[in-house]
Amino acid sequence: MKQRKLYRIFLIAGIVIAGFFLISGSFYTYWSVASPQKTCLSCHEINPSFNTWEASAHRDISCFECHGTALSNGLHSLKEKSGMVFTHMKTDVASENLRMTELQLLQTMERCKNCHESEFTNWKSGGHSAGYADIFLHETHNKTEQLNGDCLRCHGMFYEKTTADLVDPISQQGPWKLIEPEKTRQPVIPCMACHQIHAPGETVRQPDFANPNNIFYARNLTKNSVGFYSRHEKKHFQLEQLPRPDMVLFGDTVQTPADPVYRLCVQCHAPSVWHEVGTSDDHTPVGVHQGISCNACHEPHSNNQRNSCDKCHSDVSKNCRLDVRTMNTTYANPASSNDIHFVGCVNCHPDQKKKSN
Amino acid sequence: MNITRRKFIQSLSLASGSLLLFPACGGSQKSVWRFLTTEEAETIIALAEQIIPGDQDPGATDAGVINFIDKQLVGFYSNFQETYRNGIAALNQYCHEKFSQPFEKLEWNRQTEVLKLMEKNSIEGEYWKENPASRFFRMIRDHSMQGFYGSPRHGGNRDYVSYKMIRIDFPHIIGQNRYASRCETLNAFAK
Repeated sequence: MKQRKLYRIFLIAGIVIAGFFLISGSFYTYWSVASPQKTCLSCHEINPSFNTWEASAHRDISCFECHGTALSNGLHSLKEKSGMVFTHMKTDVASENLRMTELQLLQTMERCKNCHESEFTNWKSGGHSAGYADIFLHETHNKTEQLNGDCLRCHGMFYEKTTADLVDPISQQGPWKLIEPEKTRQPVIPCMACHQIHAPGETVRQPDFANPNNIFYARNLTKNSVGFYSRHEKKHFQLEQLPRPDMVLFGDTVQTPADPVYRLCVQCHAPSVWHEVGTSDDHTPVGVHQGISCNACHEPHSNNQRNSCDKCHSDVSKNCRLDVRTMNTTYANPASSNDIHFVGCVNCHPDQKKKSN
Repeated sequence: MNITRRKFIQSLSLASGSLLLFPACGGSQKSVWRFLTTEEAETIIALAEQIIPGDQDPGATDAGVINFIDKQLVGFYSNFQETYRNGIAALNQYCHEKFSQPFEKLEWNRQTEVLKLMEKNSIEGEYWKENPASRFFRMIRDHSMQGFYGSPRHGGNRDYVSYKMIRIDFPHIIGQNRYASRCETLNAFAK
């Protein structure tokens, strides 16, 4: 009798547990595959983001593939969601002003490599993958120029607080330390610094082979996903929206690269307020390389420029009877006085200068 | 309960037809603005366009100054709500009494004359005795300027039209000050 009762309890408990997993499993599966309009949007106030996603090149990729699910980070996620409900109840924030936190953004970025592994690896191997400690605890820099609020414009543009909340002390005398040690290895220039993931764009598709022009001449070359994130405006500027600066060199106007990518680079590799070439962080090419885009020599994600001379100079070097790779420039020797960004003909052909004079 | 096919179709038609009446439940047409009524918004558009008229460059209307004012009236400028509502009503009352038209329907030059009167505090009306018209004018002028020249994130300066007009590089392109050595190298290059 007792055994039969026990059997009945186990049976009922088994049915209840199986039912729970069946219902919650079906619900979770539905939640993961259905349109965001029927799922995510029914709770999250993300209409503006949904609208941009729907017109983006990533529109075939579900929200959860980049943003994770409600349970991706276990208890942390649940705590985060509870926080959202609390914020919704307690504050009056318009959905247009809702944004991901830096931590959420960095978690999202980790999922970029699921599809863009090569780009991610290149980025990781280059200077743009620097962490907070690499930048904000750099002794040589900190002794040369005092840390200030504007540092975050290009390093840590998604950080929600100020430089004073990040580093202590704010002075040219160290030693400096990060107030939040967990930020030590967090990247200061994540993918989203230069890429607008929800930018308008077309999904990848094969060209129309009936019209060969589509494969080459008429190919759409827009770089929609590339854009600069302005910390000040809390938005991305697409390349076409970015200004092409008027640059000068000793009073003369300099022809800046027509390639819109230059406008992105110069936002952070920027000249002084007078826009004089070579001042501050500027690397606008002048001399023989005037007008050439950054991308012509630098790989966009790793910024590697090795062997880039060969792309254009294999014949010219024969004409000059000089190997550009071994010429006295910073390409061959970083200590050279002939910076590749403003090397002129006369630097290597001093006799030509005499003739022209 | 038995129901005939005829009865069912009649009921279904009636129920479907009544759906058409649902939009009427909302009462009068709602404004597309956050605080302003459609009529008030039209007056402010005309006022702002007078202050920053479009010519070869965009004006206040093109820059969406109205969106800035309306957005701020439910935000940082919520204390101006009453001033706007009463001021616009008083201005349009004056225009109706004098010209039988609201401000936004007046000819351009007449609108300018009315604004000059407001600026000088010479506009007639009971409301303006207690609330100086010059103060209302200054408020509209200041808010129009803010909406035109401020950042788009506040609601105006659509597509950064004013920055483009005055040729401000935006986002600003300003580097640090520490690499003086590169300038020296460039000087050597110039020689």
